[in-house]
Amino acid sequence: MSHSFPKLESVDSIVESLATAGYICNEQIATVVYLAAALEKPILVEGPPGVGKTELAKSCAQVTGAPLVRLQCYEGLDESKAIYEWKYGKQLLYTQLLKTQLSEVMEGAQGLRASIERLHSFDDVFFSKEFLEPRPLLQAIDAEGGVVLLVDEIDKADFEFESLLLEVLSDFQVSIPELGTLQGRSKPLVFLTSNDTRDLSDALKRRCLHLHIDFPTTELEGRIVRARVPQITEAMTDHLVTFVSKVREMDLKKLPSVSETIDWAKSLVLLHADSLDEELVKSSLNALLKYEEDLTSVVENLVDLLNTEKRAANA
Amino acid sequence: MAHAERFSQDAPTDRLLAFIEFLRGRDILISPADSLVAMEVAGLVGYDDRTLLKNGLGSALAKSKFEIEVFNEAFEQYFGAPSSDKSKNENSSSSADDSTGDSPSSQELGEQLSQAMQAQPELAKNLSSELVEALKSGDEAAIAIAVETAAQQVDVSAIKLLTQRGQYIRKMLDALGEQALRDAAVELESTEPAAFEAVQALREQLRNKVRDRVDRAYMVHASGDAEDMLDEALSNMSLGNVDQHHRARLKRLLERMTRKLAARHGRVRKRVKRGQLAVPATLRKAMATDGVPFKPQWRKSVRRKPQILILCDVSGSVAAYAKFLLLFLHSLQDILPRTRSFAFSSNLGEVTETLRALPVEIAIERVNLKYGGATDYARAFEDFASLAMTDINRVTTVIILGDARNNNTDPRLDLLAEIRSKCRQLIWLNPESQRSWGTGDSEMPGVIRNCDVAAECSTLKQLERVIDDLLVQLNS
Repeated sequence: MSHSFPKLESVDSIVESLATAGYICNEQIATVVYLAAALEKPILVEGPPGVGKTELAKSCAQVTGAPLVRLQCYEGLDESKAIYEWKYGKQLLYTQLLKTQLSEVMEGAQGLRASIERLHSFDDVFFSKEFLEPRPLLQAIDAEGGVVLLVDEIDKADFEFESLLLEVLSDFQVSIPELGTLQGRSKPLVFLTSNDTRDLSDALKRRCLHLHIDFPTTELEGRIVRARVPQITEAMTDHLVTFVSKVREMDLKKLPSVSETIDWAKSLVLLHADSLDEELVKSSLNALLKYEEDLTSVVENLVDLLNTEKRAANA
Repeated sequence: MAHAERFSQDAPTDRLLAFIEFLRGRDILISPADSLVAMEVAGLVGYDDRTLLKNGLGSALAKSKFEIEVFNEAFEQYFGAPSSDKSKNENSSSSADDSTGDSPSSQELGEQLSQAMQAQPELAKNLSSELVEALKSGDEAAIAIAVETAAQQVDVSAIKLLTQRGQYIRKMLDALGEQALRDAAVELESTEPAAFEAVQALREQLRNKVRDRVDRAYMVHASGDAEDMLDEALSNMSLGNVDQHHRARLKRLLERMTRKLAARHGRVRKRVKRGQLAVPATLRKAMATDGVPFKPQWRKSVRRKPQILILCDVSGSVAAYAKFLLLFLHSLQDILPRTRSFAFSSNLGEVTETLRALPVEIAIERVNLKYGGATDYARAFEDFASLAMTDINRVTTVIILGDARNNNTDPRLDLLAEIRSKCRQLIWLNPESQRSWGTGDSEMPGVIRNCDVAAECSTLKQLERVIDDLLVQLNS
């Protein structure tokens, strides 16, 4: 049972290899990924929506070449959907098989006591691994050679589910009441993402390394946009990210995320734009902002936003 | 340099532990398991690269957005500003305000001093200690060891008060044998002005290092205690008496209390009555397995969300307390989403929206302006009855904050009784001390008869206890 993520051996190499996978990250993110791989601890990734939390896990899977097992959390998620379930249908068939077998076993038994003894000697596989349906968490620890496990939006799951996760996350094992403890075959690299809609339990937090991803700096965001939208010109990227960072300083209902910046960049490329002017921004802004109020308040300040942005570009 | 190596191995671990202690003093909960992880992290990333260390330790020690902010600040404070000269910093653990800007380097100073010493062999004899050698050659590691040894000799970690700083600095300098340098300075002052300057500069350097060490000791070992003492005192002080100067601290204290309460009561567990079989649900579930009930289903109790109505007296005598109660309950918005607030002195009005839209401080001022005046409970109860009486039901908790002094007029306690008969519980909070309840024009005896709980709430502690009890009840 050793971790098998050879590509995650130093901070610098992580930055590089994630970049080749199209994920531009800062040193902080790389440091935490490196530590998680080295210490075999899960990473709890928090931050506003659309800053690339899920993407980080996907890119790590791509870089290491390990398969990605994903568990999307929602209210009401329980162990039968996350860890394991019994194959009830097969168990039913098995009991019917048993009926015919049993009469053979019982043949010639004298009295109740002898019957029970015969029954005990009979090999029972009703609760055995054959009838176990593995769900994502069990799949992840039971896989040969390590996988990347993504538990997405853990804050959406119930509080009770967090406790279910604890055993898997800290010891990489699963306890099944009927079978005992199943030790995992490999230690997966675990990412838990949270949008911070509620506080997670201390027990869960304690088992994880904590990573808070915030909106990137303009420089970093420029690199992300160029990596994701290669057709865009450098000057245009600069205009774009300065504009977006200005918009983020405004008091909006929902701040534009990195993924929305990329969407906007893509639509601008499709429109064959080579500079930001008022008309263009007005017509394409709905790729960036998703609320009517936000749109109007940005359009109202558009001249101001574009001017400061130009001044910054000139300077 | 044998002992320098030993120093560089042991000291970072100790410093990391001290840093963790420092963070705990800043309200970040760090379990021993977390410390172990921090150790492992530090072992992996090393102490040479500050950013790497900061990012690494941050991921292990700071567990929420709030804690990250505190951590970042504490890290900067504790591990000092980044040093430009990394190789120099490798062996020394001293924080980095060594040689500043245009002042001559310690080597140059050392040379000047050496020349003077050659000229005066007597002086050389006095200044032959290891420390002086280290200062002269600018050997940071050796100086750091000397400072650390002196710190242990005088037990600098016993520092308790800020006023002890000077005393400890003096003690440490004596332990370091700085006396010799001082004597040399006196001797050189008239004869060799250049060498005198050099000695003074070296003394200054040493003094800075010692001062940093004492400051760090104070920060780690004592500042937390002093803060705790003040916090404790403030939370037991009557809210009306806290002066303007401490308001900010009180607010911080209140925020901490709300965080604590929110964490304790925030999670409403789903309640499944084990043992009571839900037959329809079990049968439904069994349909997938041909009617064989593999998975029994149990009855669940659906809990209705609690509703809280707060009535605050905002007349002069009680306004300060009302402010904190409202601040408290509105910061618990996440776990008590259905809270409505009313303000009254003579007439009463709903202020929920005002409080929601504006920062609490401003909102309260505005509410004060609108509803302030002489208290008239009868009028207030009448207004409340016409505004909200129909909204009160079995999940409603009504909290009234007031001193129950009604200027000797009829307070219409019959309305209070009616409110109580309709709601789940009626809590009366009175900022006056229990002894003065019922004296003068106080209507407290009648009020107590007509409510479920009557409590004193003059201090932050009392307020916290009342709200804690309330949340326990609401969640049970």
